[in-house]
Amino acid sequence: MGDHLLEVSGLKMYFYTRDGVVKAVDGVSFVLDKGETLGVVGESGSGKSVTALTMMRLTPMPPGKVEAGDAKFKGRSLITMKEEEIRKIRGNEIAMIFQDPMTSLNPVYKIGRQIAEPLVIHKGMSKKNALLRAIELLRLVGIPNPEQRVKDYPHQFSGGMRQRAMIAMALACDPDVLIADEPTTALDVTIQAQIIELMQELQKRTGSAIIMITHDLGVVADMADRILVMYAGRPVEYGTTDEIFYKPLHPYTWGLMDSIPTHSLVEKTALNPIKGQPPSLIDVPSGCAFHPRCPYAKQRCTDEVPEYRIVEGTHGTACHFAGDPGFVRRLLENAGVKA
Amino acid sequence: MSEYDREEDRKEDHGITDSHSGMPATPPMTDAEAHVHDEQSRTLWGDAWRRLRKNRLSLIALVWLILVIVSAITADLWVPRLLGDPRAIDSSTVMVNQLKNPSLSHPLGTDDLGRDILGRLIYGARASMTVGVAAVAISVIIGLLLGALSGFYGGMVDALIMRITDVFLAFPYILFCVLILAMLPSSARGIGPVIISIGLLGWPSFARLFRSSVLSVKQNDYVDAGRAVGASDSRLMFRHIMPNAIAPIIVYATMSVGGTILTEAALSFLGLGVQPPEISWGRMINDGRNYLISNHPGLVFWPGLAIILTVLAFTLLGDGLRDALDVKMKD
Repeated sequence: MGDHLLEVSGLKMYFYTRDGVVKAVDGVSFVLDKGETLGVVGESGSGKSVTALTMMRLTPMPPGKVEAGDAKFKGRSLITMKEEEIRKIRGNEIAMIFQDPMTSLNPVYKIGRQIAEPLVIHKGMSKKNALLRAIELLRLVGIPNPEQRVKDYPHQFSGGMRQRAMIAMALACDPDVLIADEPTTALDVTIQAQIIELMQELQKRTGSAIIMITHDLGVVADMADRILVMYAGRPVEYGTTDEIFYKPLHPYTWGLMDSIPTHSLVEKTALNPIKGQPPSLIDVPSGCAFHPRCPYAKQRCTDEVPEYRIVEGTHGTACHFAGDPGFVRRLLENAGVKA
Repeated sequence: MSEYDREEDRKEDHGITDSHSGMPATPPMTDAEAHVHDEQSRTLWGDAWRRLRKNRLSLIALVWLILVIVSAITADLWVPRLLGDPRAIDSSTVMVNQLKNPSLSHPLGTDDLGRDILGRLIYGARASMTVGVAAVAISVIIGLLLGALSGFYGGMVDALIMRITDVFLAFPYILFCVLILAMLPSSARGIGPVIISIGLLGWPSFARLFRSSVLSVKQNDYVDAGRAVGASDSRLMFRHIMPNAIAPIIVYATMSVGGTILTEAALSFLGLGVQPPEISWGRMINDGRNYLISNHPGLVFWPGLAIILTVLAFTLLGDGLRDALDVKMKD
């Protein structure tokens, strides 16, 4: 430990609102190494985005407050460093792609100028050189005729093209870490695949690490090296992609897996959604936050908050019964019935 | 030839919906497409101008204002030669020239001191326009600054600035101007003090308006995105928020120029504004009010009409600008 590119340990981000304390991020830990991809998976409101925003110090503070924990980038704490220092990191060493490309570009500036902005800010490039680089970047992300297109305004770009432009902007300064916050959610399914492919290809070329935030396990299946599953602001399972997909420990992960639509044309199967709604982060259920929706919950799950524990290697989970033979049998039975 | 053959072929609309053109498989653009594309590469200001041009009333208002401004600026070049110097009193001819009805040499007649009314209106436009524009400029600058701080930082800064604003809004505006100007010795009165006193009292509405505008623009994702690429506070404010939040200020400022001209007229009418021999429209009404009932209503009528038309023009132009700058009203 200690020499990871990015190391988040026990990070807690609470929002103090009039209605109570919102525990948006409640003890998240993970590590990220150079060139690696981490998938952060969970439903809406599970604290995925806030985790990323907290690392970038982009959450409004107050009402937000980092209650505990730290996020170290190249050994330096992102949480305690001065505002000027984190500003030098944003867009330069850690870049971010937002969910909705339709609203993430400033409508009054030409595309080229916006892609050039991080270069002007961080690399001190002249506007002219930055614009030339913007053309290169647009070509890199697959926009045809980039010499003309840099002169366009965002409203002249389609959704997919805008997300490509956002990726170009994020890659402008060759960041070490690229945080993609649901980059495909607002796009058509066909465009989604293109964007994912593009990101993978660019990662190969630039070697930057990616944090892929999504509610869709399918999106990270091909991409991620490791996966963090979050629920109600807490990490429920963390492990390599193979571990998560082939040996899932937490019933929530099982549930997510089950709710991926199968693409079989022959056999029609019903979707198996996880029943119920994600809990309110102000009033998190007692014990294991997932217990009201968990088909396997026992009394202990209501009474006792499960500790996050390593089960095998780096594969860990926060479930009382993970690895318990009886519990595993029930899980398998259940899955078997459905298959 | 059939009806169908005579009809022009429908032009394909190569709009912005080519979402798949991100793929390398896109065929190269044809000349026709490139042309359409060029047409789209217009600026937002170009768009606004295009929309403003469609609004006939605003256009008429704009033409009127340009006419007034241009004649006021160029007055020295032609007014004295054609109509006689409207500021000078020629004591030898006063008795002959005074209170003339409209004629060829004096299109709107002359006043009680034998000066051409049209000429005086044109010179009066100088004072009215200067006061209108300069006072609003002062208000806008103060209002933008305070509104930006307030909306951008929020919290304590916001609370403090907004309370100060509330206090200033509660001031009886005209009365306060009257008070300030009345305290000055009459030798110190003139255009300058009027501009400053109106300007210093007019900013609170601009501060409030800009604050709310900044607050709503601040919510936009592109501001977060700007922050995420490492933009500093001032860069966020001036580059990302300001250009998107300025439209209502432009509209309100345009309308305010009209209102300020009214205030100036009122102050000058009360003798607190522009002092003779300087001319302003309010001053002209004041000078002519004794002749209103004695068969020479022109002395009051013409400057009054000039005020009404100009104020109306600013309001109509502001109205048109509001529609033209509203991105949501894309036709």
